[in-house]
Parts: sequence; structure tokens; C-alpha cells
Amino acid sequence: MPSENKVGKLSDITKIIKEGDKVAIGGSWLGGHPMAIIREIIRNKIKDLTAITVVGSIDIDLLIGAGCLKRLMFSFVSMEAFGLAPNFRRAIEKEGLPYDEITGLAVIIGLEAGGRNVPFLPYRGPFGSDLIKYRPEFYKNIKCPFTGEELIAAAAIVPDVAIIHAVRADKTGSIQMEGTTGSDIEMMRAAKKRIVSVEEIVPSEEIWKHPEKTKVPKFQVDMVIEAPLGAHPTSCAPHYVFDAWHIMKYMEYAASAETFKKYIQDYVMKPEWEYLEAIGGMRQASILRRLAREVKFL
Amino acid sequence: MKQYAKDYTVGELMCVTLAREIEDSDVVVLGSFTPLAYASYILAKITHAPNSCLLAYAAVDFRPFQLSFIRAESSATRGAALLWTMLEDLNSVHLKGRGDVEAISSIQADQYGNINLSVVGEYDKPKLRGPGGAGAPEVIKMHRKMIGYFPSHSKMTFVPKVDVITGTRYLIGAQERIKSGYRPGPIRYITNLCVITKEEKDKPFRIDFLHPGVKVEDVVNNTGFPLEVPASIPETEKPTEEQVRLLREEVDPYGTINFDFKPGKERLGYLKEMLNKELQAIGYA
Repeated sequence: MPSENKVGKLSDITKIIKEGDKVAIGGSWLGGHPMAIIREIIRNKIKDLTAITVVGSIDIDLLIGAGCLKRLMFSFVSMEAFGLAPNFRRAIEKEGLPYDEITGLAVIIGLEAGGRNVPFLPYRGPFGSDLIKYRPEFYKNIKCPFTGEELIAAAAIVPDVAIIHAVRADKTGSIQMEGTTGSDIEMMRAAKKRIVSVEEIVPSEEIWKHPEKTKVPKFQVDMVIEAPLGAHPTSCAPHYVFDAWHIMKYMEYAASAETFKKYIQDYVMKPEWEYLEAIGGMRQASILRRLAREVKFL
Repeated sequence: MKQYAKDYTVGELMCVTLAREIEDSDVVVLGSFTPLAYASYILAKITHAPNSCLLAYAAVDFRPFQLSFIRAESSATRGAALLWTMLEDLNSVHLKGRGDVEAISSIQADQYGNINLSVVGEYDKPKLRGPGGAGAPEVIKMHRKMIGYFPSHSKMTFVPKVDVITGTRYLIGAQERIKSGYRPGPIRYITNLCVITKEEKDKPFRIDFLHPGVKVEDVVNNTGFPLEVPASIPETEKPTEEQVRLLREEVDPYGTINFDFKPGKERLGYLKEMLNKELQAIGYA
């Protein structure tokens, strides 16, 4: 039997994530963000991070509101139907948070380039977009060496650390996913170090029963952390839905920088199990799980 | 004989108008959670386009599901024929040119086929920092049609020139698109007032249809760029009684598609009401 053991506690993330790191954050829209790890980053006051997201929401907004970011790379940050992301807006409009806005495909293709160990990948990119003009360090117009076709080169993105949330893992770090994978797998390939929080850590025998669910091999994982409901308040499809009730509460707190400090105190600066109590405990968890199960096909 | 509904909301009218854009073999992508677009695609799938292939989140060719505010992702995932990654999605659909429709919306749109989801004002000194474009800036160029929907047709949205070009159709005319390896298709915007279309780079958007009760001047006065106004403009086809029944009873019983049309002050209350109904449906609250 394999003897390696990559299981860590949430507090162990400080062994991997360092001040000033470029951190790619998995998940997409209101789904699958590694929120327990993000809360732990804030608890440990790891600052000056550059966050990299494809389609972010509360993950990015919370990190900005807690003052952990010095720069942001994104294609989209929004609370979707709940509104624009309040801390994200405030930081950019009022405080001039530096950012690199890149189109979604360029972030994913850039991560794929990072994973392939090449400095760029060409594609039929966003010709005519001002984003090319504003961020020439991520886009270049190039000509195909074979046909002469005009293409866009997307620069490789190599994060210092990737953090993602998944359904299950064994202690060696085989990672299983059962729903939305977003760009998590590309982030894991591209990054120098990787931390994965999972709903449950299981014996390797459980992994071997369903190899088709394993999406990240153990050699692309440095630490696994068991964090049930670790994506909350975002979803972990198809197991639980995002917590619309908590997100509405978050939006109230985030209405001003002043009241947002209270959110950090009331929900983040306490052990993870107390966070889960504060958001409604087992009852709320069972509602979110039940909503994810009870879907109706037409 | 089609029985047209007498009672319908503007959201329902836009929804069935967008549904008509879906053809039976189309590959249709659902991006960010936009209830009106989701409802349109699902309505098309259970009516005239049963062979369309719907994609959302990681789900490919998912079974049509009952829309709700918080369950779209788990519904699509549980009913999928295949689950894949964003990279597989963009390799297979976007970059390969296989996408037909992925309706987008935008803070600003202009006469050239540009959209702005970035900032209002100067890029480095924004008055409003928007969410960013996600996939939109590129899908509007790559997919066969560029379809936009705008719940509030005004000069704030339809501006002569967007402040920032987050993305653009880039190649518009059919010949130009074919020459460069893109499938030809129109730019079409469905708004709360009308349907406008642009098919050539050097020609303006044309008013194709006016919604019932809307006059030409309502559209012209609320659009910040010149429009082609044909001598006679047909009325947008109204939803049928059956379409309205399907939307209200099957596709969208919680009324998510009307959310975008609620005034700012009423939105939170409406949202809470929808969420309570979802809780009741699973036996809580």
C-alpha cells in the first residue's frame, strides 16, 4: 500500500501559501470555490497576494474585502443575480486596486500554456478587443509560421499556488470531482504548488472503485485537507447548492467597508466549525443538499 | 390555428422571441446564470428544437429541467450526457466554431457590434467597474449568431460608441466571415421594445420587429445610434397560450425570468419570495 500522506489541516496552508504569492483560485461563478481555504488565508492574514480567477464571485470579493490582495487577474467577477461584487467594485473604483482583466478564454489558454511548459499558446483570440491594447503583456498579435494567418498569442500563466475544492480524495492526493470542474484541472497542471480541500478523505479502495471520477493525479497535488461544506457559501455540484440566504446576508454586510469588517469578525475570524454553526449548521447543510438532489426534469 | 396569449409579461415575450432563435440541431451554450436565456433554451428544447444540444456549467446535452433560482447547476449536472472541463468546452465548441447561440447581455452596446462589460468611464478611472466579459468577448465573434438580450432598451445601453470594447463581433458580413473561417450569422438584439439586426459592417442595425404597443419613435428615441427603419415593420409574434402555460407551469414556475425586469427596490423582495417557494417545494419553511 502507498505510504505517502498529503493530508493536512486547514492551518497547514501557511506552509505552502506565502505572502506575495500568485494564487489561482478554482471554482466558477457561484460554484465550487475553495472557500474554507480562503477563510483560512484571511485568518492567517496572508497578504499581498495576486489572485487569478476565470469566473470569480464571493471568493474574490471576500479576499479583496479582507485586504489580502495586491493585484487581481480575472475575466469576470460578479455576484450574478445578487448584484455586482461590492468589495471588488469599491477597491477598483475608489482605491485603485491594480488588476489585469483578461478574456475568459485567454485565462484558460494561458493556464494551459503554463501546464504545457510553453511561454504562450496561439488561438483565434479576441481581435478588436481593447483588452489586447490595455494588457499587451498577456496578448500579442502573431502570424502563423505555416500559413501566415493572423492569430493571438495568450501568455502562459504559472501560479505559485493553485487552490481548489473537490468532492473526495485519498491521502495520497488522487482527486475526484463529480460536477462542475471549471478550470480547476488546468490550474492544478499549471501551478508550482497545489492545495485541495475536499468534502471527504476516503481510503484508496474507494478511489479505485471509480477511476473515471478522478480528475487530478496525485503527483499534481501537494496537500489535501478535509473540509466538509468547504465550498460554502458556493456550491459543490451536484451535492449541495450555493447558499442564497447567506449570500444575501453577505451582500448586506458588504454594502459598506465599515459593515464588512463586521462580516469578517462574525463569520471568518473563528474556527471553521464555528463558521458552519454560524451559517445555520446541520439544518442549513441539509437544506442545501436536499435542494441539489431534488431537481425536476421535463 | 395558433392561440396567442392575451396575458403575458415582457419577460415572457422576450423569452419566446429568444427561443425562436434556436434551431433544431443547434449547439447552445449557457454562460453565466441568466434566467431569461436559460428559460428560452429549455422552452426551445421541449418544443421546436428537441435535438438541440444544450451546454451549461460542465454539463453537455443535459436533459431539459425545471428552472429554479438556485438549482440550475445541479439540475444540468444531474441530467448531463457528458461532464467536461471549460478547456474541453472551448476547444470543442468555441475554437472549433461549433457554437450556434450563446445569448449575451452587456452594460453598453454600440452600432458597430461592440460590447462593454468592463467599465463605464475611462478604463483607468472608472465611474463603474463592471463584472468583466467572461466568455462573452470571444463567443460573440466565434459562434454562428451573435444574440444579445437587453431588458432595458435605453440610450444608457445603446450608445454610439462603447467606452471600452470588451469584445466585438469583429467580422460581420457573411462573405468576410466565411473567408476567415467563421460561420456567417447576424448580430441580433432582443430588447424590451423590439428586435434589431445588423448583417453588414457598413449598414446600420435595422428594426425587424416592434413588440405589441411599441412605436417606431419609442425605439429611435431610446437608441443612441442611427437605425434603419423599414417602411413597414411587423409586430413581434406574441407568445402562444401554450408557450405561456409551459413557461409558467413547467419551465419556470418560480418566475425567475421576470427577475431582471423588477425595479431595483423590488428585486430583493422578489428574490426572497422565489427562494421561499423553492423551500416550500422541498418541504421546508
